[in-house]
Amino acid sequence: MQKKKQDRQSTARIFIRNLLHNPSAVIGLTIISIMILCAVFAVQISGVEPEYIDPINGRLGPSLDHLMGTDQLGRDMLSRVLSGGRQSIYIGVIASFLANLIGTVLGATAGYLGGKIDAVVMRVSELVMTFPQLILVLIFVSLLGQGINNVIIVFALTGWMTTFRLVRGEFFSLREEAFVEADRAFGFSKPRIIFRHILPNTLSPIVVAFTINIAIFIIAEAGLSFLGLGVPVTTPTWGNLLTAAQNPVVVDEYWWLWVFPAMSIAIFVLGVNFVGDGLRDVLDPRHKSLIAKSKWKVALLGRLGSKK
Amino acid sequence: MVSFIVRRIAILVPMAFTISALIFFASRLSPIDPILAMIPPDMASDSANLEQLREELGLNDHIVLQYLTWLKNIATGDFGYSLQSGQQISEILALRMPATLELVLSALILSTILALTLGLFAGAKKGGIADKLSRVLGVVGIAIPDFFIGLALLNVFAYRVSWLPSGNRVAPGQVTLWDRFPNYILPVATLTIAMLAVLIRYTRNSVLDTLNRDFVKTARSKGVPEWRVLYSHVFRNSLGPVMVLLAFRLPLLVGGSILVETVFQWPGIGTTIIAAVTASDYPVIMVVSMLIAMVILFASFLVDIVKSILDPRVRLGGGN
Repeated sequence: MQKKKQDRQSTARIFIRNLLHNPSAVIGLTIISIMILCAVFAVQISGVEPEYIDPINGRLGPSLDHLMGTDQLGRDMLSRVLSGGRQSIYIGVIASFLANLIGTVLGATAGYLGGKIDAVVMRVSELVMTFPQLILVLIFVSLLGQGINNVIIVFALTGWMTTFRLVRGEFFSLREEAFVEADRAFGFSKPRIIFRHILPNTLSPIVVAFTINIAIFIIAEAGLSFLGLGVPVTTPTWGNLLTAAQNPVVVDEYWWLWVFPAMSIAIFVLGVNFVGDGLRDVLDPRHKSLIAKSKWKVALLGRLGSKK
Repeated sequence: MVSFIVRRIAILVPMAFTISALIFFASRLSPIDPILAMIPPDMASDSANLEQLREELGLNDHIVLQYLTWLKNIATGDFGYSLQSGQQISEILALRMPATLELVLSALILSTILALTLGLFAGAKKGGIADKLSRVLGVVGIAIPDFFIGLALLNVFAYRVSWLPSGNRVAPGQVTLWDRFPNYILPVATLTIAMLAVLIRYTRNSVLDTLNRDFVKTARSKGVPEWRVLYSHVFRNSLGPVMVLLAFRLPLLVGGSILVETVFQWPGIGTTIIAAVTASDYPVIMVVSMLIAMVILFASFLVDIVKSILDPRVRLGGGN
């Protein structure tokens, strides 16, 4: 038992060392950490509360006083953009966690049991995947209503397929392994084999899917809020700040009102994707080979159908 | 092949029924009185008539029977009425659908051509200009929200230099297609760039995959000229997975341009959906979701066929 624990620790240490030697992971982690710190200390950095209204200084361009300018009510954009990150990142992370949970449970069950259940869940995932994501989200929003929690639920319900596919694929190959045969011979229950014995071996695709989903959800939140159908406007999120750009005058004359929030989204998502790429290389050296890598890309990027 | 197609259709039919049932019953969970969706608004204002109509329209029937009636109506082209405008939904679709189709179809074609060309050159010469360009596009393109591309293009080309109109499909006085052409440039460009990123990454990977295959080495060692190796060996063989991705993009034809349509005030299905969702206009939402679902089923059918042509094992192995 003691020995086993040591092995685990050293695996973790090897993992961290490899990760820190992977350039794209390091760049990504740096970007993400800086942005999260900025979001947490938004008020300290900008010196102004995001909701502080100063009508006389409305719609000022970027200057030394207001690095990102001010909006129509004179609120400091730097403060708003930085603190907007809080909600956007929160939504992305929680929704991605829930989506992963759904995807993992379904993927593990379908992958291990196979047969009819697998075929049905597979068809459902194919269907959800091909449905234009935003429309699906909109349909759910029209049924559930707006609000941060509803947005998170909707994202989780519409974004579990990537994880499902990856986990299912791993289970397909793992269920024939010798240690699973042994489990079955011991007479372990199915849930125990699935969740206690096989699942830990599929951790790497789950971790990678987690990062990719965060990126997807943050962009989706931006789109949804831009349309005015996401998080209520009273809470600043990156997407909500972009709503200002629905007004042509803003697009024309007050570029700082939409360029900075959009840039924050792009940079953060870029960081998350870098981490995802790095994690993929580090966690699973097998997937460094091109062919395998492209199979992953099918599932991760393509959001496309059956890989029977 | 025939039996394979028949088997596929046999799967499609129950799926189509399941989806339509889901959509129908989900909409019944909404608090809106379904009778409003079935009659023009001027008739709905008369409350004495309403009860009689309810009976006549079968709204007091068993819910399963109602569902079947709804299916029959949809099948015969009677989509009902929009709660918001009182217009017939089939009219709205006839008006809005072409606008979206024009937009998305051009973007789909353009992005495919660009992605295939760039992807092929990128894969053929790793580290070359095309490769660097497509890698940057692939990484950055995924990170940038597509409507931001639209806003940036608007700001530069419509406002800073005023070369192009800022939106709308048809402006007063524009008669011919040529007159309207400038209106298309920015929205189509935005959508093309948005669609390009994934496709380029995908093509490049597919080309690199194929380049590693044995038959490419054989062709090269036989002394086949490099351009021929690239065209008839690599390109054609890496097309398969790309075709599958494209078929799966067909549903975008109906619902893939919501954000771009909003940015450019494009009177298409996307803006219709937004208006419907904002106003809880369930009949419109139902019909549009049905439409998309049917395109999806068709697309997945198409994918199966394409796959079975590319790889006979799919056909013989019984699919699943």
